Amino acid sequence: MKVTIFDTCVVDLFFPQVAEDMVEVLERFGCDCDVPTNQICCGQPTYNSGYEKESIKTIHNEIDTLLANGSDYIVGPAGSCVAMLHEYQFMLKDDPEYAEKAKELAAKSYEFSQFLYRVLGVVDAGAQLDTVATYHRSCHMTRLLGEAETPYILLKHVKGLDLKPLPHVEKCCGFGGMFSAKEPTLSQPMVDEKVDSIVSTGAQTLISCDPACLMNIGGRMNRRGIKMNVMHLANVLNHNVDPSRIKFVKDVDKAAI
Amino acid sequence: MGLQTTEKPFLERVEEAKKDKFMQGSVAKAQDAQLIKREDARAQLGHWQQWRELGEQIRKETVRYLPDYLEEFADNVEKQGGHVFFAKDDKEAAAFIRQVAVEKKAKNIVKSKSMVTAEIGLNKQLLSIPGVSLMETDLAEFILQEDDWDEPTHIVFPTLHKNRTQIQKIFQKLGYKGDNDPSTMAKFARKYLRNKFIHADLGITGCNFAIADNGMINLVTNEGNADLCMAIPKTQVVVMGMERIVPSLKEAETLDNMLSRSAVGQKLTSYCTFCGKKQDGESDGPDDFYVVIVDNGRSKALGTVFEPVLQCIRCGACLNVCPIYRHIGGHGYGSIYPGPIGAVLSPILDGYEKFGDLPFASSLCAACTETCPVKIPLHHLLIEHRRIMMDKIHTDHTFTNQIMKIIGVGTGSPFLFKSVLRFGHVGLNVLTTKKPANTVSGFLYQQGRVGKVNPPLPKLMLGWTDLRDLPNVSKKHQNFRSWFGKHTPVKAVAHPQPLK
Amino acid sequence: MEKLQMGKANREAFLNHLAQKSGRPRHQLKDHPFKPINDLPHTTLAGHSQDELLDIAEKNSTAVHVDFRTTTKDGLADVLNQYLDAKHTQNLLLPTTDQWQHFALANWFNDHQSSAMLWQPDATRAENLDRAEKADVAIGFADYLLAESGTITVATRPGQGRAFNFLPQHYLSIIPKSRIVARSTQAMDHYDADIKAGRLKTSNINFITGPSNSGDIEMVLVVGVHGPLDMTYVVVNDL
Repeated sequence: MKVTIFDTCVVDLFFPQVAEDMVEVLERFGCDCDVPTNQICCGQPTYNSGYEKESIKTIHNEIDTLLANGSDYIVGPAGSCVAMLHEYQFMLKDDPEYAEKAKELAAKSYEFSQFLYRVLGVVDAGAQLDTVATYHRSCHMTRLLGEAETPYILLKHVKGLDLKPLPHVEKCCGFGGMFSAKEPTLSQPMVDEKVDSIVSTGAQTLISCDPACLMNIGGRMNRRGIKMNVMHLANVLNHNVDPSRIKFVKDVDKAAI
Repeated sequence: MGLQTTEKPFLERVEEAKKDKFMQGSVAKAQDAQLIKREDARAQLGHWQQWRELGEQIRKETVRYLPDYLEEFADNVEKQGGHVFFAKDDKEAAAFIRQVAVEKKAKNIVKSKSMVTAEIGLNKQLLSIPGVSLMETDLAEFILQEDDWDEPTHIVFPTLHKNRTQIQKIFQKLGYKGDNDPSTMAKFARKYLRNKFIHADLGITGCNFAIADNGMINLVTNEGNADLCMAIPKTQVVVMGMERIVPSLKEAETLDNMLSRSAVGQKLTSYCTFCGKKQDGESDGPDDFYVVIVDNGRSKALGTVFEPVLQCIRCGACLNVCPIYRHIGGHGYGSIYPGPIGAVLSPILDGYEKFGDLPFASSLCAACTETCPVKIPLHHLLIEHRRIMMDKIHTDHTFTNQIMKIIGVGTGSPFLFKSVLRFGHVGLNVLTTKKPANTVSGFLYQQGRVGKVNPPLPKLMLGWTDLRDLPNVSKKHQNFRSWFGKHTPVKAVAHPQPLK
Repeated sequence: MEKLQMGKANREAFLNHLAQKSGRPRHQLKDHPFKPINDLPHTTLAGHSQDELLDIAEKNSTAVHVDFRTTTKDGLADVLNQYLDAKHTQNLLLPTTDQWQHFALANWFNDHQSSAMLWQPDATRAENLDRAEKADVAIGFADYLLAESGTITVATRPGQGRAFNFLPQHYLSIIPKSRIVARSTQAMDHYDADIKAGRLKTSNINFITGPSNSGDIEMVLVVGVHGPLDMTYVVVNDL
């Protein structure tokens, strides 16, 4: 199965470890990965700020690049960016050249946890991580991509992981792309409330499927001097893996998922 | 009052709001309580997503055929001897109602809570009539009136920003001698206002839904004051935004169920009333019945991408889920329509010059879109506002504008982006100042970090680093793409068996 | 300032402006009448027997602070008398209606008629409002009881006006068991059909769910604001 890695600009610029762990997990499950080097960014920073014209070129480039290799699937480590790939088909519905391509892209694109569970049928990735953790649910992954389940399913089966529910899990962390930089005075109380909620769980580890949210929350925690181990789901699922623990949907009772 | 509640600049309002810790606490408490009540009420109803589809359809179709439904409604009101006035703007609406009050020689006016009467600045107009007394009779609006016409902070809970002791002090000016227990204070308000009701000669109400096929008005309330406003006075004036109409009683009933659950987490509010001009043989209710249908900028949304905003049923659920509203409250928005719906609606009604900041006051988390009972794509409409301001009218000539264009160019061109990947870390490393050790471990700062920085760096970067540490850009030989080029693939332990 | 005029010119200018703004011609509705995309209002809570609806109604009425009672036609007079005693009734308000006969309350009504005040079809606005304002207790009849929400529905009639339901402090409503329906939808179907067929002439329909209340002060629920301070429903088994 050929999988094109949509590595996202944030991961590309700042967080190589996230993409590396994601690739290794996918390879472990037999995916033949490629990383097209012309990909840049999904276009959210400018599009969501209202710069539509400036964004279209970015979006066209992303579509062309991700579809170029004709892979079976396109997988990314960021719920928000993958949600944006799914939005293209609506933005470009009147674009004679790109309307169809955008639909094809949406049909093939998955967020990492979604792909593992919903396409590969992975329930237990074989990982072990001895820690008390909590999970931050990103707004775009939950509400725009519509995926609220798969990270929890995969985390539930990580050996040694004690996952605490996060109070106010539905609240935005205050990232919002350019919002966090353009409107710091609004973003600050949001990220502070998120940090406080996470601390209140007693977790030592914070996990999410959106590196940008983690950059925001973790960046604030570091500034406030709060001790926290910040991990992407891919880091967790590639940690201390024992292949004998791996389980698929077909191997387990429905109730055990 | 009018739509705009203050002329202070947006950031000043936000800073003021952020200092009001009581307000923030009560908004958060209200949001958390409403979350449970609302979701519980929706869950008990079942099939909520299909209900939303029905609610959306009802509202979309009435907006689509709006002139026809309004015509049918006006015909039916007039058939029963009522009167309809179509007001193109706030001034015309308020002036017409003043004219009615003068003609009817009204002395004692009672009002029930209505956002649109606040929008058209009605109270000021009526109070300019010599010898007229005017009472807001909704408990919250009464409190605001007696506090020198303070501004509401929520479209469903207008006094969310006041605590019981502040309210006790307000009531003491009216002769109240009791404690600050809400129940005791409500009893005092009942007695005080009952006297006003009994002598009222003109009642003014808003309108949740107008019923096109029989000319009735639907009002959804909890206290009972609106019903007294339309039972006791001989004259009643109903003020409605022009979009607040439904085909028949049946659709009103459907929407009342969705409105009650979305606004206050009740299956139905205490009073859902459908009423019109008094009929022969009845002894109370209005002899003279006026409906004022207000455009005031709403028609600017028709035929545009913003048309769905007219689907709104004013439940306030989007305020109750909004993380921005949670921290700045209603006053921060500077419009009587705050929160996500206010950020979309206010610029349509009265332009970007006054309300252009509001569409940017959102992280686009989409909680508003998710909760809206009639499926208004609120966060998309916020982006649409931004697009118009940025792409079309270029209101923002600041440095940020230039940066956004550079990002647009940068992220549109693979060559430029790769240059950043190659050289980005050089620029940032220079800025890195001496700083304490990281408390956050994990992948964030594997390449180092940038702490607080100073001007003359770009404003965007300051906005980030004022609050948070920034990870350093990966050095080329350490970035993902170079790793991928040289890594040895992990041995597959399973052959993929795709489920789909 | 020039007098603002209602009428055809005012209306046409406004509606034409809307049509022009929307880019859609007027008078399209007759070819596109509203047809709901689903039947949820009817299928929700469907298929319950009258006994089951009574149970559901009781649970949901109690949840909205209603004192909920059931009785038979024979027991109704006693229930009303106990209620009047419990409320230490001074000024009782009753409707003018032939429902007294339907509930075998003709004698009870005759006993109370002299001491009670009546909302009367031929009285003036001021007279009826004055009685309702003086009343500490009102006993009225409802058209339907909605099981889902614990709601009574009342259409205004000459003998039981609008303020009848709002001014008195304590309110008791009598509902026949046969008139318990699942939801507001069924009640509204009846009203809509009755009004359109001319069987019901009314200017006002009240759906009343428990006593008046407010959360305006610190979101603390206060029961009893402008409308009645408490509500009692008496369901009479007429089946």
